[in-house]
Amino acid sequence: MQKSLYLFRSGRLRRKENTLCVEAEEQTRYFPVENVRDIFVFGEVDLSKKTLEFLHEKEILVHFFGFHGNYVGSFYPREHYNSGYLILKQAEHYLDPEKRLVLARQFVAGGLANILQVVKYYANRGKELAATVQVIEDFAAGNLPACGTVEELMAIEGNARNYYYESFNEILSGSPFAIAGRSRRPPADPLNALISFGNSLVYVKVLSEIYKTHLDPRIGYLHATNFRRFTLNLDVAEIFKPILADRVLFTLVGKKMIGPGNFDRQGPAVFLNEEGRRLYVQEFEEKLRSTFYHRRLKRHVSYQTLLRLELYKLEKHLIGEEPYEPFVSRW
Amino acid sequence: MAEKELPDVENAASTGLQVIGSFIQAYMVCPRQAWLMSRQICPDEDHIYLQLGRLIQRQSYSRERKEIHLGHLALDLVRRDGQNLVVAEVKKSSRASAAARMQLAFYLYELRQMGLEAQGELLFPEERRRERLVLDESLAAEVAALKQRIQTLLRQPAPPPPARIQFCTRCAYSDFCWA
Repeated sequence: MQKSLYLFRSGRLRRKENTLCVEAEEQTRYFPVENVRDIFVFGEVDLSKKTLEFLHEKEILVHFFGFHGNYVGSFYPREHYNSGYLILKQAEHYLDPEKRLVLARQFVAGGLANILQVVKYYANRGKELAATVQVIEDFAAGNLPACGTVEELMAIEGNARNYYYESFNEILSGSPFAIAGRSRRPPADPLNALISFGNSLVYVKVLSEIYKTHLDPRIGYLHATNFRRFTLNLDVAEIFKPILADRVLFTLVGKKMIGPGNFDRQGPAVFLNEEGRRLYVQEFEEKLRSTFYHRRLKRHVSYQTLLRLELYKLEKHLIGEEPYEPFVSRW
Repeated sequence: MAEKELPDVENAASTGLQVIGSFIQAYMVCPRQAWLMSRQICPDEDHIYLQLGRLIQRQSYSRERKEIHLGHLALDLVRRDGQNLVVAEVKKSSRASAAARMQLAFYLYELRQMGLEAQGELLFPEERRRERLVLDESLAAEVAALKQRIQTLLRQPAPPPPARIQFCTRCAYSDFCWA
């Protein structure tokens, strides 16, 4: 199984013979290149064009994050899976407003369904969340089917999420944190910092998987395509944010693995510090490695594999084989 | 100005649908695979059996002549054996030997169309086995019929639905098919 490499410290990433070498002040470490799926760069890491060429040859994506853990951009090596046929199909489903709406709606529906699974889990554990469940169910069953445009879908999704994030206070009651609405760029409190950090990890994880398929990450359906940035990963991430990022957040805060000491405050902004990011990433990777029984594949699959499977389902929708149904968690 | 007609996706994909050796092999095992390959929807390249197959093809018979591309034909190995021209196909295992045999027969058939008579050889380096193949009349007729059936399949707008067969367990497409 290939692994993700996380670089938190400052140092140098380079090719040494046929191995990846990370030189830092304290120590130099080597990573067999065949075992690396992608690299997450948080520290001040130097790398040369030669290194990038090596990473390109080995088809490894590099995701860069800024000083505060904010996503900066990715090194996306030249596509290696090319299917002109599929690209045309992908564009066709974007250009036809009806076809586009079908997919956009499925992404929102999948996101809301998984949000409901998460909220219901805590409702069953004695948290006062009946009202939240009701509101989100209404959005999913009432407003969603009535939407006629992508903009309306986005609005519904945003509204439902506001109720959802408010419920974090109830889910995490007893923790030292509280959330007063969603805030981004910059996050205003620790929970928002955790949400932002988790979401950006889901975005790039999906992007890494898209690279391993025939899909073009620049053509999204829910998030507006402007052909300059990746959007398809944002679409697919809608489905997985609740069951990956948010569940990791609840574990870390609920089990008090992460506390006020893991955050830095800069004026009105709050960010995870390095230790906090390490803790998050550890738990996140563990989540991705955890497996469950997949009924159709008739074997156990990890969440990491699940991301890829979701993209395959999308490909099958695009070639007209089987209508796309988003993954909905059963637990 | 006359309105320019946009190329239709279906046609754009089907105009260049020439049957090639790998489609023959795929079709014999699983027609769905042939359809997907024709749209360049290639399987998961990280799949362990694909990597293994490529390695075996690269490393075996390294002293003999390798990989010849002749038009749409990709011949693993070509050599002279006295007066005869021998074309060989290298396979990881004989698990799908019927499919491998038809693929090789197809190469011999296409070469004959080009005016080249050749003999065939199936090579299973891991099993230390070789198998001779001669293109006789009945085999040639079989190839012609097979080509017809494949062309018909490739013109279909959608792939045949997945069917669970013994090959699924080790197939690089299985995640795609059953997702």
